[in-house]
Amino acid sequence: MGVLRGFLWLTGFLLLGDVLVTLAGLPISAGVAGMLLLTAWLSLRGRVPADIAAAARPLIAVLALLIMPGVVGIFFILDRLAGHGLAILAALLLGTLLSVLTTLWLMHRLLGADAVPVEGREDG
Amino acid sequence: MAELIDHLMATPLLAIALTLSAYFAGERLLRLVGAPAWCPPILVASLLLAGALWLLGIDVADYREGAGWLMLLLGPATVALGLPLYQQMAHIRALWRPLLVCLPTAAGLAALYAVGIAWLLGAPAEVLASLAPKSVTAPIAIGITEQLGGSISLMMGGLLLTGVAAIGFVGPLSRRLDIRDERLIGLALGINGHALGTVRAFEIGPTAGAFASLGMSLTGILTALLLPLAWHLPGLAG
Repeated sequence: MGVLRGFLWLTGFLLLGDVLVTLAGLPISAGVAGMLLLTAWLSLRGRVPADIAAAARPLIAVLALLIMPGVVGIFFILDRLAGHGLAILAALLLGTLLSVLTTLWLMHRLLGADAVPVEGREDG
Repeated sequence: MAELIDHLMATPLLAIALTLSAYFAGERLLRLVGAPAWCPPILVASLLLAGALWLLGIDVADYREGAGWLMLLLGPATVALGLPLYQQMAHIRALWRPLLVCLPTAAGLAALYAVGIAWLLGAPAEVLASLAPKSVTAPIAIGITEQLGGSISLMMGGLLLTGVAAIGFVGPLSRRLDIRDERLIGLALGINGHALGTVRAFEIGPTAGAFASLGMSLTGILTALLLPLAWHLPGLAG
């Protein structure tokens, strides 16, 4: 029953996130708001209740399955994109090359200057 | 045959069964060929699913309506991502200063490079809105694309290609820059290659994996918070 109780928690946070986003007119999705609320709540409690872990782990494990209905559509709109194929490919490949390069360079500079071995500082 | 399919498609069961079958068949097929790191399992599964829909003559829109039951679970699954995020808190606290500078820049640039290049090459607004969240993990990216008015299918395709490209680029580029720090490589994989990059990072090592999931979660949150705002700024100014 732990899984179901955990699922109720997750759904509760999702609905709470939805209420918050709707009332405050925030430009984020209810899921993201719910995720942040859950993180904040777990930080306050300082531990993860077993029920929530029991529901969250399997859901995260099947994320790929849950987004498949969204992915499969791409194969059916390819002809509609034909005119922009080059722009899309260039944006994705070149854009990713540039952003990987920037990230590595930037983090190298910043973490190089602020090198703190994480292993030594983990205390809980 | 067509009538029988129509009859079965009246409930979501067939769509769900097809999705599950393709998911497991894809997993099996990948294991048979030795699961190459650059090939995301979801790409294989989606190709199998698309093939099955085409063979059975099922309209994608009808399929989506049935599979909506699975998509509905994305909401609670997105909330569930708060659990690994909470478990990353120690890393976040230890490195909050460089992360504070680097993450917004890296996440912003990932979107800006893609949108800029596509815009220069004359892509329309719908395409730009679908490419903008390309480095964000799928459940969060779906919400962003809906808000910007892009196509979810195109965004998903872009997401897959970005993940594969990021995995391909991080290795050679980090060698070029002489970076061997697993934390950096993990972060680069998570920030640019979302869930696909994170899976690859866990193959490199647990530290790389932890930092990749950290990079992925924070990029997702930052992009979800900032992109819709940035998107509407030019509109307000013009």
